[in-house]
Amino acid sequence: MILIALKMLLGDRTKYVGLLFGITFTSFLVTFAASYFGGMMTRSFALIADNPGTDVWVMDPAVVAIDRPINLPTSALSRVRSVEGVRSAVPLAVAQADARFPNGHFQSFQVIGVDDATLTGVPLMKAGATADVLRASGAVIVDGGGTSGKMETPSLVSDQWPSGQPHLDVPTRPLIVGDELLIDDTRVQVAGESMALPRFPPRPLLFTTYSTAERILLPERRRLTFVLATAAPDVDARALAARIEKATHLRARSSADFKEDTVRWMIVNSEDVGDAVTMLSIAMLVGFGVTGVMMFMFTSDNLKYYAVLSAMGASTRLLLTMILAQAALCALIGTGLGLGLCAVAGRLFTMYDFPYRMMWFAPTVGGAAVVLVSVGAAAFSMRPVLKMQPASFLTGR
Amino acid sequence: METHAEPATGPTAISCHGVTKTYGVGNAAVQALRGVDLAVRTGELLMLVGPSGCGKTTLISVLAGLLHRDAGECTVLAHDYEKMDGPETTRFRKENIGFVFQSFDLIPALTAAENAAIPLLIGGAKRRPALDKTRTILKTVGFDERMMNSLPADLSGGQQQRVAIARSLVHNPKLIVCDEPTSALDSQSGRMVMELMREFARGQDRVLVVVTHDDRILEFADRIAWMEDGRIAKVENGPVRAKVPATQS
Repeated sequence: MILIALKMLLGDRTKYVGLLFGITFTSFLVTFAASYFGGMMTRSFALIADNPGTDVWVMDPAVVAIDRPINLPTSALSRVRSVEGVRSAVPLAVAQADARFPNGHFQSFQVIGVDDATLTGVPLMKAGATADVLRASGAVIVDGGGTSGKMETPSLVSDQWPSGQPHLDVPTRPLIVGDELLIDDTRVQVAGESMALPRFPPRPLLFTTYSTAERILLPERRRLTFVLATAAPDVDARALAARIEKATHLRARSSADFKEDTVRWMIVNSEDVGDAVTMLSIAMLVGFGVTGVMMFMFTSDNLKYYAVLSAMGASTRLLLTMILAQAALCALIGTGLGLGLCAVAGRLFTMYDFPYRMMWFAPTVGGAAVVLVSVGAAAFSMRPVLKMQPASFLTGR
Repeated sequence: METHAEPATGPTAISCHGVTKTYGVGNAAVQALRGVDLAVRTGELLMLVGPSGCGKTTLISVLAGLLHRDAGECTVLAHDYEKMDGPETTRFRKENIGFVFQSFDLIPALTAAENAAIPLLIGGAKRRPALDKTRTILKTVGFDERMMNSLPADLSGGQQQRVAIARSLVHNPKLIVCDEPTSALDSQSGRMVMELMREFARGQDRVLVVVTHDDRILEFADRIAWMEDGRIAKVENGPVRAKVPATQS
């Protein structure tokens, strides 16, 4: 009888397509929203992900996420290095700075000062360059950080560093090696471009050495933001973090835990999460609306046949199973179509550098939403079948 | 006026006394059955005839266990629906009753064979054996392979009704109730359908109760029960009985 139910459904093309549309829409939008959320969350901890060699991040005890730094005293570095199980520990400075472009424009950058000796913290470079370019005096590496068109300098040399009025509306080109910027009236030179993971929210990045960062940033009593520690062989990162916390009274988190902390903070505090939830809710509501109405119409249109089946001895349970089977088929195909569409849309989105990442939970959430919508729609449409009297079909009452 | 004529055939299959049924309450109440007395024996084809609204369809709904009666006694194949719960009644219908509806009510998305196999599938039969058995029955009503695999929309009214008849017979029921089985058919198709039904009733020792307005098919009845205003006004032998010896009727 399941097959009969499915053939009944497939025989009514219009409603079948309508049902598929509703469920595909739900599946697509929910999975897409979840993937977009996954992309945003992944980008929120991009600085951690850009440092895969770091086992433990050490920070001020009040820091709860990578984007909420509070600087440490310089002595923190030595204290961390002194903890047993630490193989190496290097400083990392993170700050905001406004850079002046040669035509007079200002652009806010996240400045990341990496250890002068090891250059730990510099992501992969474009054009086969290496982080060693930072060893030149005043050298910086720039990165779009998920933005586009924000690192533009005048195309013509005559428009660069003009005397008198700034040349704000002149033709521009992207920064290249050799271009210069001013940070707090200190001239720095672009020595390369990196391929850092895009940030969320997107922002241009400027990598330099720790000492250059100290020189070009506005003076602060504390410049050190994080201490990046690696564990000695056979030392577990989480155990080492606990040991550092105990010895230094600073906050120490393994990379994995720090990512989780950051995501948790984003979920609680980011307005974009609310947007994603709104998108999910709308997707569910519209999906349920379309699917529920279509399923109800389909069942109502077929009520006569359900009455005939009931008269011929089909139990209520069998009839409900048939309706559930119809909903299940739509759910299965709709989920597949929705996920496929989502994959295509995701491909397009990532091509344009939007935050999109289909993690394991995205199709799971999409599937759960589809189950919820389908079961809801089926339950909604079961009502007339449950209230149906086969005799009323015969007697017309 | 004869109100309760009984044929001289097999044991009583249906026995009703004083059956009443009212729809609605208060001012909107409509008394559809006002004390129906009826007995039908196995092997008999009984036709219920009467004007619209006289209670024919209500009566077959009560006989088929689709409607509860308000009062009176009624046993069908030695079962009283009022002593059975819902699932038991449904199971009883599944095993013992076949239906032929006025508008055929074949499911449009299913082939003729699938439509006719539905009672077997409801009964839990596997699809393949159910379809095989159905094909045999459909052959007896004149269907070839192509017609068996046709959708109802591709069949004529007479062919659709033959599918409906095959559907009512396929699970070997003891009682078949038919509601205006020939009303949508031309004269020739109607005769063919009734010949099939007649054959089934006589040959298989079963009971057929047919509601009809169609005078053309009265000649197939063993007995004809005339209903008026919710009661059996009279029951008389049909032309079939009149033509055969009493021992066979």
